[in-house]
Amino acid sequence: MPKINKLIIAAAGAGKTTYLINEALKQDKEVLITTYTEANEGEIKKKFLEINGFIPKNVTIQTWFSMLLQHGVKPYQDYLTDKRINGMLLVNEQSGLKFRGKFPVYYKEEEVDEHYFSKEYKIYSDKLSKFIFKCNEKSKDAVFDRLSRIYDYIFIDEVQDLAGYDLELIKLLFQTDSNIVLVGDPRQTTYNTHWEKKNKQYQDGKIKEFIQGQCKKISVEIDEISLNCSYRNNEFICQFSSRLFPSYTVPTSNQNDEVEHKGIFFIKEKDVDVYLTKYQPLQLRVDRRKQVNPSFSVMNFGESKGLGFDRVLIYPTKKILDFILKNKNLDGTSRAKFYVAITRARYSVGIVYNFKDSDNVENIEKWIYQEGTI
Amino acid sequence: MKIKKVYIENFKSFKKLELDLDGGINILVGNNEAGKSTILEAIHLALTGLLNGKYLKNDLTEYLFNAKCIQGYLANPETLPYVLTEIFFEDAKYPLFEGNLNYEKKDKESGISFKIAFDEKYQNEYNELLKDKDNIKTLPIEYYEIYWSSFARDSITSRSIPIKSAFIDSSSNRFQNGSDVYLSRIIRENLDENDLVKISQAHRKMRDVFMEDDSIQIINEKVKTHSTLTAKELALSVELVSKNAWESSLMTYFDDIPFHYIGKGEQCIIKTDLALSHKKSKESNLLLIEEPENHLSHTKLNALINKIKTGNEDKQIIISTHSSFVANKLGLEHLIFLHDKQTTRLNKLSSDTQKFFEKIAGYDTLRLILCKKAILVEGDSDELVVQKAYMLQNSGKLPIEDEIDVISVGVAFKRFLEIAEKINKEVVVVTDNDGDINAVNKKYENYIGTNEKTNIKICFDETVDTDTLMIDGKPYNNNTLEPKILKANSLDTLNTIFGTSYATESDLKKYMKNNKTECALKIFDTEEKMAFPDYILEAIK
Repeated sequence: MPKINKLIIAAAGAGKTTYLINEALKQDKEVLITTYTEANEGEIKKKFLEINGFIPKNVTIQTWFSMLLQHGVKPYQDYLTDKRINGMLLVNEQSGLKFRGKFPVYYKEEEVDEHYFSKEYKIYSDKLSKFIFKCNEKSKDAVFDRLSRIYDYIFIDEVQDLAGYDLELIKLLFQTDSNIVLVGDPRQTTYNTHWEKKNKQYQDGKIKEFIQGQCKKISVEIDEISLNCSYRNNEFICQFSSRLFPSYTVPTSNQNDEVEHKGIFFIKEKDVDVYLTKYQPLQLRVDRRKQVNPSFSVMNFGESKGLGFDRVLIYPTKKILDFILKNKNLDGTSRAKFYVAITRARYSVGIVYNFKDSDNVENIEKWIYQEGTI
Repeated sequence: MKIKKVYIENFKSFKKLELDLDGGINILVGNNEAGKSTILEAIHLALTGLLNGKYLKNDLTEYLFNAKCIQGYLANPETLPYVLTEIFFEDAKYPLFEGNLNYEKKDKESGISFKIAFDEKYQNEYNELLKDKDNIKTLPIEYYEIYWSSFARDSITSRSIPIKSAFIDSSSNRFQNGSDVYLSRIIRENLDENDLVKISQAHRKMRDVFMEDDSIQIINEKVKTHSTLTAKELALSVELVSKNAWESSLMTYFDDIPFHYIGKGEQCIIKTDLALSHKKSKESNLLLIEEPENHLSHTKLNALINKIKTGNEDKQIIISTHSSFVANKLGLEHLIFLHDKQTTRLNKLSSDTQKFFEKIAGYDTLRLILCKKAILVEGDSDELVVQKAYMLQNSGKLPIEDEIDVISVGVAFKRFLEIAEKINKEVVVVTDNDGDINAVNKKYENYIGTNEKTNIKICFDETVDTDTLMIDGKPYNNNTLEPKILKANSLDTLNTIFGTSYATESDLKKYMKNNKTECALKIFDTEEKMAFPDYILEAIK
């Protein structure tokens, strides 16, 4: 069987985790499923139990970081350092700061101990893939040769979360004998945890562009069709969410439940409590600072990723409203997070906005509370 | 999955040892204290974490360290020593264990590293100690930790190791109740997970039944009232605490006899048998057998060796032995000779010689291998005479006291010489010329004249003697040991030594021919002054 290199762009609610699990269950050889977040790792394991009752012995599920530490860093770390590495330190800004001045100065990569490691000799999360890339280079490909002999199939879920040197690692994976399947939705790139200058132009989930631009000599199939349908979002939601990403094909909807109150709605602030009582939507806000009705369940945009609800009620930011009403540019993680928020819902998306009679937005209904209807 | 190499550093008697292993049988031979058992221990430890049947984790001591390395440490306490055993797996079979955490830092090696080393988190405490260097009299073992990992630096447990090791030795490492640690290990590894679950459930059920029994309940009522000192409730129960509680409370029986009551030899055979029948496909099995000859009769030993030899191509075996029989039977090509903490292999003998010793396994090949110098003779009487000659030349010392072994080899001189050549052993052959110098020269042409080897000397009498004596219608052979002794001495001297009074040399020759061993013993025991043929004196020089 020829080696597979594949990127599948999946729509929200397309069931990509289910797809990966079924693919994994077809194999009797060693399979690795890896994903960026622990939350999603947990989700994959849970789904495995639902579908199959247990996780087969030939399937390993691991977060991207844990996989990189075990198979990327440790086996050949000697090429950069022979000190004992005490795990990983998760950082949320560029690591390896030498001194903070007007212009901060960082340790150079030649200063291995400081560039890659904290004082406790934990490897910085943002340098993990760079370390591995260098190690693999110096060891003449020993790192990836080893990994590919362990796993016949490597599946990466939520691949849009990878950036910087991670992308170089993906390119190296493509060049091994293992079968590589990447699944993700670039529209849902809600993380931006990479400060590496490497592949800056491909951050924000531009994995497809990376493959087209940087992996020209490698044969990689890009599949934008198989998983471009949503089992979660109904027709209205598919259409509305696609307004955020006009360059992507609108996903087809397989959500045809017959319920009342389907679509996208503006809700006035004064009507929120009534609306919550009537439709029990999940409240979604950008972060904890936004006041919501504490008697109903609530989540931040980012937190809700991967989950599905019948209905949501979104508290939009100013930028989001400008986008909806005036088509003003919305991009980066703000756009991705709003996209995630919309696509959580099966039936209806409410947006809190004190609309005027003159406001007319295509495909959005104005919800008006009529007394006595509840 | 096989082990291709073992590396040992600072463990017990080994400062450093690199030992290549065969995929099948490996026979470790060497003198006492050569470190045979230490090698087996080190391998078993690295594969199981067990030393003498106990988890080493809780029993770290300074005595695991090489004595010289401790001395070195005490002289220079700045550098803390470590103990290291590395097990190298055969190439490319187990990439999960591949990495460069091995002593050569090679990339494409897979295996296990078992290291006892200083735990850096105690560096501050240790720096305090260092302030008063003269007071450091022992290794601060309390700051030491076991680092057990794959070559990929992934920490491991004995469960995750794909090679299961079974150690079969004469010691008795038992649980408190007498069931054997190794035995239960071997049995456990033969069972699959479902079996194990079933056993522990049955064990749990047994406890419940026990606890519900009326008499136990009555006893527990009584016990309760006895305890006045504490408010807590006392009760009798069955141990169920540990995960494998059944292992320590269940006993293995053979024909209704508890395992530890049957003979040591039988135990050894049963354990070997169980370990050999191990059927798990994904894991392979390594058998470590320590000196099986110690508690087995010849027949049982033969049975065991045959068991080991047949039908276990996929099992790797390392066996230590002092017995030539074991070594010959299992094949001399598998021999690893250990001396001065170095190893030599005997694996390039001609297949003819290999087969010869395998078939006629009684030969003392190991004696040749283990001695400092060997004198090879044909039979018992030659052996006694050579010994006697040696004693007279060396103020009564037996050759063996100088580590010179006189070995009767019958007609197998050349087989032994082939081994001696391989291991560069100093060997002297003492042989009769049997009346045909050319034949002797031809037989040993590879070792005399231009082919002479520095370590091999061939001694025989260069003169062919003749007379007219006939015995049973055949001419008497004047060119064996006895007539040559007679030639070197007088009729009277030999009559005195033998306590005989033959009138003619011919009569004495007849007597000597018919009583070879008897005569040799008399010579060996005599206090008379006597002479020896030159070729014998040459041999013991």
